[in-house]
Amino acid sequence: MAQQHGIIVLFDVENALKERTLAGNTYWFDNMKLFGSAGVGTEKLVTIVPGTYFSDGSQATEQVLNWLPAALGAIPPTVPRNYLAEQERADDRRTLDELASLDAEGGVEEADVKRLQRRVGKRARPGTGRGLTEGKLLDVTGRTTGSAAAYNYPAPVITDITGQAVVEKIMYPAQYGSPDMIYDGWYWAATVDTSRPGVYPYTMHVQLHELVEQGGEMVWRSVDLTCESSLKIISDPKRNGFTGAGLGELPLPAVPAAG
Amino acid sequence: MSDRISIVVMVDAVGALSDRTLHNGNLSLVDDGPASRHQGTPDLVTVVSPGQIVQWTPIHVDVQTPVEIQAIEFLPAGAVPAPAGPDAAPGTAAPAAVPAPTVDATDSGGHENYDLLVWEGVVPYGMTPGVPYRYRLSVRLHEGPNAVLHVDSPALLRV
Repeated sequence: MAQQHGIIVLFDVENALKERTLAGNTYWFDNMKLFGSAGVGTEKLVTIVPGTYFSDGSQATEQVLNWLPAALGAIPPTVPRNYLAEQERADDRRTLDELASLDAEGGVEEADVKRLQRRVGKRARPGTGRGLTEGKLLDVTGRTTGSAAAYNYPAPVITDITGQAVVEKIMYPAQYGSPDMIYDGWYWAATVDTSRPGVYPYTMHVQLHELVEQGGEMVWRSVDLTCESSLKIISDPKRNGFTGAGLGELPLPAVPAAG
Repeated sequence: MSDRISIVVMVDAVGALSDRTLHNGNLSLVDDGPASRHQGTPDLVTVVSPGQIVQWTPIHVDVQTPVEIQAIEFLPAGAVPAPAGPDAAPGTAAPAAVPAPTVDATDSGGHENYDLLVWEGVVPYGMTPGVPYRYRLSVRLHEGPNAVLHVDSPALLRV
């Protein structure tokens, strides 16, 4: 049975935000090199889609594509999604404990209060972006940070897949709900019509999030960018594994092996 | 008697590649015949009747792993044929006594694609009853030098 395609799209979020383009900041990777995918690991991936058809011309293999976004420098996608929320809560608890212990004889040192103020961290409001909740700014280790250079970017979000391959109905992409919270419970997949061989480009729409100061508070502002890849469709006739052509008798030996 | 018997070849590709064997629970053979034995194991004995069509279908446990049938060769008395394919380790078996016809699985992109092969055939009337016809089932997992694994234990049996 034909395997499903996995396509990882890795973004260098920081540089993409800086340069306001995904060009030069995107790396595509799929699992179809053995059938001829080209440019694996680069920005110019051409994903091979090897279709098959029966002798009556009908499509014999359903090809399924799955896209997963990933970000350079972020918390690895395999870490559970509630990691940041848990870290945030744990950090608040620690700060409260320390605050309580400050109330000792001899008064409270101002330096201690300042230190704890820093520990409380900064909160960023969700701007217009999708899927972001208000939360503290945490670095990749889950510690509060006020440094703009150290915080952890929210995962990039695929918002649409368009282009020639979609317009010409070569593939039918859609976003599906998933029990896998690694990708926020959503993922993009498509089935492919392999009856029309050729190379079909498509455009992936991606939303990144950048932290900006707005009216005295920190806000995650969404930045919508696009990147491109292509599908190379080929199609070949199914054939019988024993005869190389149509159905025949099983090639049994005159005398079978003992056992 | 039904016209057709389906044998499903379920493979845990990652397990098989890391164990380098289709045993240890990495291969499970199941059919829909009424009298088959050892269902769910690599030792499946499928009871067949002449004229029936037998079809083998590979299924991957992990949907993003490539699992295809590279060859099905019935083992003759006396000699054990060499495993099919150029990737088989040399010197592991006697030369083929009855070389299986090798069907070209090259696709139009120039790559070997065993998804192109349909593994089905008609049970011949000359099949001897009561004797299991064991076959070598070779499974191809990806394309590397250790991609092809096989078992010699499954069989067809005419009763």
